[in-house]
Amino acid sequence: MKPFDYARPGDVAEAVRVATLPGAVFLGGGTNLVDHLKLGVARPDLVVDVRTLTSREVTDTEDGGLRAGAAVTNSELAADRRVRERYPVLAQALLAGATGQLRNTATTGGNPLQRTRCVYFQDVTTPCNKREPGTGCSAIGGTTRNHAVLGASQACIATHPSDMAVALAALDACVQVLGPTGERTVPFTELHRLPGDDPSRDTVLEQGELITAMGLPPLPAARTSAYRKVRDRASYAFALVSVAAVLDVRDGVVQDVRIALGGVAHKPWRATRAEQALRGGPATPDAFAAAAAEELADARPQPGIDGGNGFKVPLVTRTLVATLRDLTAAQEG
Amino acid sequence: MRRPDGQAKVRGEFSYAGDLHAEGMLHGVTLRSPHPHARLLRIDTAAARALPGVHAVLTAADVPGDLHFGLTLRDEPVLADGVVRYAGEPVAVVAAIDPRTARRAARAIVVEYEPLPAQTDPTLAADAEPLHAEGNVYRHLAYECGDPRARGVVTVENTYRIGMQDPAFLAPEAGMATPTADGGVRLEVATQWLHSDQRQIAWATGLPPEKVQVVLAGVGGAFGGREDVTLHTHACLLALATGRPVKMEYTREESFLAHRQRHPGTIWLRHSADASGRVVSVEGRVVLDGGAYASTSPVVIANTVTLLQGPYRVDNGRFEGWSVRTNNPSCGAMRGFGVPQAAFAHESQMDALAAALDLDPLEIRLRNALRRGDTATFGQRFTQPTPVREVIEGLRAVPLPPAGGKLPGGVGRASSPGSVRRGVGYAVTMKNLAFSEGHVDESTATVSLRDGHATVHCACAEVGQGFVTVAEQVARTVLGADTVTVTQPDTLIASAGSTSASRQTMASGTAVHRACVAVRDRLLARVARERGLDAGLLSIQDGAVTCDGTPLVDVAAATPGHTVRATEHFAHPPTTALGQGDVYVGFAFSAQRAVVDVDVELGLVSVVQIASCQDVGTVVNPTQLLGQIEGGIVQGMGLAVMEEVVVVDGHITNPEFQDYLIPTIVDAPEVVSVYVTDPQPGMPHGWKGVGEPPLCTAVPAVAAAVRDATGLPLPSVPIRPEHIALGIGTPPTVTRTTPRPPATTGGTALSEEPADRPGTWESEGAAGH
Repeated sequence: MKPFDYARPGDVAEAVRVATLPGAVFLGGGTNLVDHLKLGVARPDLVVDVRTLTSREVTDTEDGGLRAGAAVTNSELAADRRVRERYPVLAQALLAGATGQLRNTATTGGNPLQRTRCVYFQDVTTPCNKREPGTGCSAIGGTTRNHAVLGASQACIATHPSDMAVALAALDACVQVLGPTGERTVPFTELHRLPGDDPSRDTVLEQGELITAMGLPPLPAARTSAYRKVRDRASYAFALVSVAAVLDVRDGVVQDVRIALGGVAHKPWRATRAEQALRGGPATPDAFAAAAAEELADARPQPGIDGGNGFKVPLVTRTLVATLRDLTAAQEG
Repeated sequence: MRRPDGQAKVRGEFSYAGDLHAEGMLHGVTLRSPHPHARLLRIDTAAARALPGVHAVLTAADVPGDLHFGLTLRDEPVLADGVVRYAGEPVAVVAAIDPRTARRAARAIVVEYEPLPAQTDPTLAADAEPLHAEGNVYRHLAYECGDPRARGVVTVENTYRIGMQDPAFLAPEAGMATPTADGGVRLEVATQWLHSDQRQIAWATGLPPEKVQVVLAGVGGAFGGREDVTLHTHACLLALATGRPVKMEYTREESFLAHRQRHPGTIWLRHSADASGRVVSVEGRVVLDGGAYASTSPVVIANTVTLLQGPYRVDNGRFEGWSVRTNNPSCGAMRGFGVPQAAFAHESQMDALAAALDLDPLEIRLRNALRRGDTATFGQRFTQPTPVREVIEGLRAVPLPPAGGKLPGGVGRASSPGSVRRGVGYAVTMKNLAFSEGHVDESTATVSLRDGHATVHCACAEVGQGFVTVAEQVARTVLGADTVTVTQPDTLIASAGSTSASRQTMASGTAVHRACVAVRDRLLARVARERGLDAGLLSIQDGAVTCDGTPLVDVAAATPGHTVRATEHFAHPPTTALGQGDVYVGFAFSAQRAVVDVDVELGLVSVVQIASCQDVGTVVNPTQLLGQIEGGIVQGMGLAVMEEVVVVDGHITNPEFQDYLIPTIVDAPEVVSVYVTDPQPGMPHGWKGVGEPPLCTAVPAVAAAVRDATGLPLPSVPIRPEHIALGIGTPPTVTRTTPRPPATTGGTALSEEPADRPGTWESEGAAGH
């Protein structure tokens, strides 16, 4: 582990000020950062501990939404009665992730900022454009089973690992950010980037910008929402693919639908094409499959020495169809 | 009776090897090759040596004794010698005042490599440029029995693949070496086989074996992965070089790189059967990837090849196999020792035959089940209990679990009930017990008794399997001891062999039993002498010396202040080389039924229940027996549906528990375990080994159940979601054949020449004669 300085500022303003220095990182739950410090994947000069600085409350907002402080743990957020009733997709996504021990530590602000579990990113002996820009991508042509089929680039085919983030993308959450130049709000779907030529940056956050809270908009349709995660092991494994969906169906017609996909891209993948295809149309398995096909039309499976990840395309389709089918049945019987 | 180490382990108070500590100890770190195959052009350690806090930097040139070691061939260098042959091969070791300084020094060592092409395909490696002076074929063996070309009415063949499995013991390798006053070294280490370690350390250090003392430190699981030396020799060399205690402890990643894995294998099998389902002939070929160094590859391949027909009577067959050197990670012992590979293949074939003949899967197995008195394909007669039919019937009596229960996908809520199909699969296997092919299987124990307290000393390594409990049970039962201490195993007593091959209750348990009986007889003789009684009338019952049934005196008070001690040795009857008689000491038989729920759309498997009926000789300790059955089943299930060390171009891509998945408690099935108890001759109470069969059987049973649920051929394990969702895998070729009786009968003959090189074996056609 590379030695680093450790700061424990008195408030968020000071934290942001201290963290404007290049080489500074924030420490939240630490469930990912501490691993990376040990592995040499993260080599910061300064670790700014913000664990006690942001809110650990989930509060109702005036417009009928919810606001979760960045320090709220994943366990607390998943257990919140309002979250479970109004945004079941979020509670389910949280509980599908990690283990009880990790969820007790991981935070609302930190979870979306966890980094890819690409084996090459985590192995400091291999080239990786995300870890060391310009060194190349070892995953392309390597083991690609866990890699992206949408929005990847020649520089990086990594996937984003968070389950929670997939639900937040579907819910149109917004991220409250405090930075050196003040506060701003970032739509959650715009928080994460596609890799493009610079996969070293996962998000649009600038140096020193700190997530202080997550806003959940009022969304009555989200009471019928669900998260499904397909993986190799029944617990404690990252998604091969996952689907977060909100569906409002009346008289067999889709009134509103929000879909995000996990395990398929560098970011939680908001399936806007599929949503567009479904809105105002019939809520039938055929329509769901057609919408999935629409969304996946640009999918580019990666060949790989392990057989590649082409299986993700049918797997996403089947998971999406099943999720929407069950949400339809829940409303229309 | 409670396990003596149980509470401490559950409470986190047990002292594992990683907890070893000594005042002034140094920390050892290993520099490993990043290349799977490369020439070492130059090693410069000057910068590393110059770092403050660094006490020693050793390379091959600093090894005072013999550079090479190994459990079979001595083909592996203690530190790389001119060439590295796998990614992760130790090149240099460092001792420094703390782990960080040691790691920094390791990084400061300059090594120039000339990368060489890596040979990673075992079927090509056999014929390719030798990677080592010892050649690339660790062992080729072939034999025939009867007429392999005999045919029944139906013939099925397929090629099966088994992935590389990591032993994944929870406590990574650790040990501490301390120089001794006589110029020797004392190593405390988590290991499976103290005397084998001692011998190999003596080679490298140049010390006489008696100056190398190996003491067992707390072991957190082994499963075969601790049978070869890893950090043992390095720690000793560093301790001798520095004159200080040196502790070494691997990270999880290093653990994956350093220890031996289960051999990945490719197995082709062709079975022919008559209309009643009786197997007429079996032909099989095996290629196991042994990786860079021999370890036990020459022995493992013999298990796979000789047990390739499974627990069935087969009179006509031809069996051939290779274990091959490549630039992949070295493979060696792992629970099952070559048999899980064979079992997956032969049980897949039995199901394929049953399907081709429209027979019930258990019925076809019953019709072919070995019986006592039969002769194995490899020439050995089954003279001991051979309860194959009994384990099948015992399994059949276990009721099926009700429908429903947890859905596949666990807490991911991935499955819809509508896409879930239940499947039921069966497997029956045989596992050889103890050492084989002429390797002496023996143990020695010393037992002393003083004032009712017994002390047991034996070199048997407790790795979690529960020998400490068995030894205590024996001492309490035979001696009526009030308390029992099982002392820490060391090399001051004779070898107990390795804790492997399901052998320690049989070997060391029997040595302890014999020593206890000897102590008891001496105690009774003394009591008889002192009291003027006939020793023949005395016995020990319920903690008291009794005469003709009447209690005389408590054992604790029988000979106050006097210690009665005895040392006894046990060895199984000798075994022989293949083709010359009894290759194996004995066998255990096991039948399992797996019930799975499979989401056929998403490819997710939930193993609902595994019922097991195993031939266990006698039940020594019901709780520990169930622990072995459950643990073996979960480990076998792991190999069937999730565990695989993925090796790409000689590099392990998943040397950690994020990507190498082992089953969690959420994945573990309900286990229903029943037993056939047919006492093993020559063993106290008729006990026999139990540790490996449940794993061997679970692999094919789970695979069969998933096939039943999906209708897919699934010829490879681990079965991945995509294999199910996309239907990947070639089905067996089924040929209706013209029956041809065997032209010759009986006899087992070794084939001198390999009929084919392994490179050509997959081109084998259906050969519908």
